[in-house]
Amino acid sequence: MNVSYELPLDDAAYSFGFLDEYAKREVRRTILKAICIPGYQTPYASREMPMGRGFGTGGLQVTLSLIGEGDTLKVIDQGADDSVNAVNLRHFVELTCPGVDTTERTTEASLIQSRHRIPEVALSESQVMILQVPYPDPLVVVEPSEARRKVMHGEADYSRLLTKLYEDIVQFDEITISHRYPTRINGHYVIDPSPIPRYDVPRLDNSPALILLGAGREKKIYAVPPYTRAEPLAFDDVPFRVEDFRDAQGTRRPCARCGATDSFLDELIDDDGNKQWQCSDSDYCHSRLAEHDTIPGEAMS
Amino acid sequence: MNDPMTLEAPRDVRMGVWQPPRQQRAFRGLLTAFSYPGRVVRLADDGESATLLLLATLTDGASRLADPEPRLSEDDVRRLGVRSSAVESADFVLCTGAHPPEVTPRLGSLENPEQGATLIIQVPALEEGIELHLTGPGIQAEQTLRVAGVDPAWWRLRDEWNVHFPLGVDLILASEQAVAVLPRTTRLTVEGVH
Repeated sequence: MNVSYELPLDDAAYSFGFLDEYAKREVRRTILKAICIPGYQTPYASREMPMGRGFGTGGLQVTLSLIGEGDTLKVIDQGADDSVNAVNLRHFVELTCPGVDTTERTTEASLIQSRHRIPEVALSESQVMILQVPYPDPLVVVEPSEARRKVMHGEADYSRLLTKLYEDIVQFDEITISHRYPTRINGHYVIDPSPIPRYDVPRLDNSPALILLGAGREKKIYAVPPYTRAEPLAFDDVPFRVEDFRDAQGTRRPCARCGATDSFLDELIDDDGNKQWQCSDSDYCHSRLAEHDTIPGEAMS
Repeated sequence: MNDPMTLEAPRDVRMGVWQPPRQQRAFRGLLTAFSYPGRVVRLADDGESATLLLLATLTDGASRLADPEPRLSEDDVRRLGVRSSAVESADFVLCTGAHPPEVTPRLGSLENPEQGATLIIQVPALEEGIELHLTGPGIQAEQTLRVAGVDPAWWRLRDEWNVHFPLGVDLILASEQAVAVLPRTTRLTVEGVH
């Protein structure tokens, strides 16, 4: 034994990106197959992460398998960079990936991990969008057996799902799915696009950026490749529609902070019980405020 | 003398392909190539082999590699740690553009189409040779890819293997340093052939 040997303490810690190289290689193989079969829920051995399943472990494993020196990561939760889930995941990546930058600006990010929103600013080819998925299979509401669901997906047999949507229209005059709207990718597989609002579903269609979806608890990864058709399920006479932000007079509500009339709005109730609407995408809201050089609160007038 | 204190760290550039940071960079190259079919992505640096780099990035003891020619050195197969297998049961098949394999690779099943094989086809050059016109997911309108030294029988067989989507094979065309990918979803017409 070499007496001058010292345990290299720096190297004895976790490997870059927390996951070991075998785990990364498996996730990488799975991602590439998921891109080759657009919308297909590709199974993989989801690893135990140092956080509870359901807190974005699927998205995180995808991010950690992609990320490397020179990358700039943005993490959002319901559009915001500063909510607990986003802050924790970003901090975890900062701890385990030395040399990686993090940002809150959509345009600066090379990787964007998100829970429940796609940013307002259009993505580019040099970016990859990673969505955290709680429930990957849209067929689970009509078929309990996964073995049978896999055959239905393979055959692109979504008649029972369409029947469910039809029953909604008969009962409520409206398809009652607010988020996780079933979306058909490249004319074959129907995916659960993660709990993004309907407003974000058209952004999946022909996106210049690759969109990866990771479900950690359900051990599935699927993809919407760039420039690929993504069509929300609908009927010829009942077209798909997104959230309506018009008031009783029919005018589009503006964001209470930045005045935007072209963004997805969160409804907030203030201390006096009044309703307010505000951009869900905090970076979009901040950038607009910075552009117009207005002080928050004054934009309302 | 095998004294660890006097052994020089390996400076050989070929060692890089076994290092995790190099493989991460290679994977991002592959991710671009798979996302945008037909785009030529320079994967390897000078002195590296694109084929070996992508195999080191994607394969390990959990994957099966068929190398029927064989085109890899015994040492490299050992370093990859990959399980060797016959073409018909392999996850990755290392092929030559000069002629397609004699047996059908794995095409996956209706329930598990991801088990369709990934074929790595070594070609003398990309960006020269015959012109392929590509459409499909990942391609905005049409993508043109030039590739040299591929037997036309390859394109016929690819059509045959990929006829029943979602079953099929995904091709990585690899020159010495660059790759271009043809996933099973890419529709392909060869210049002058209808």
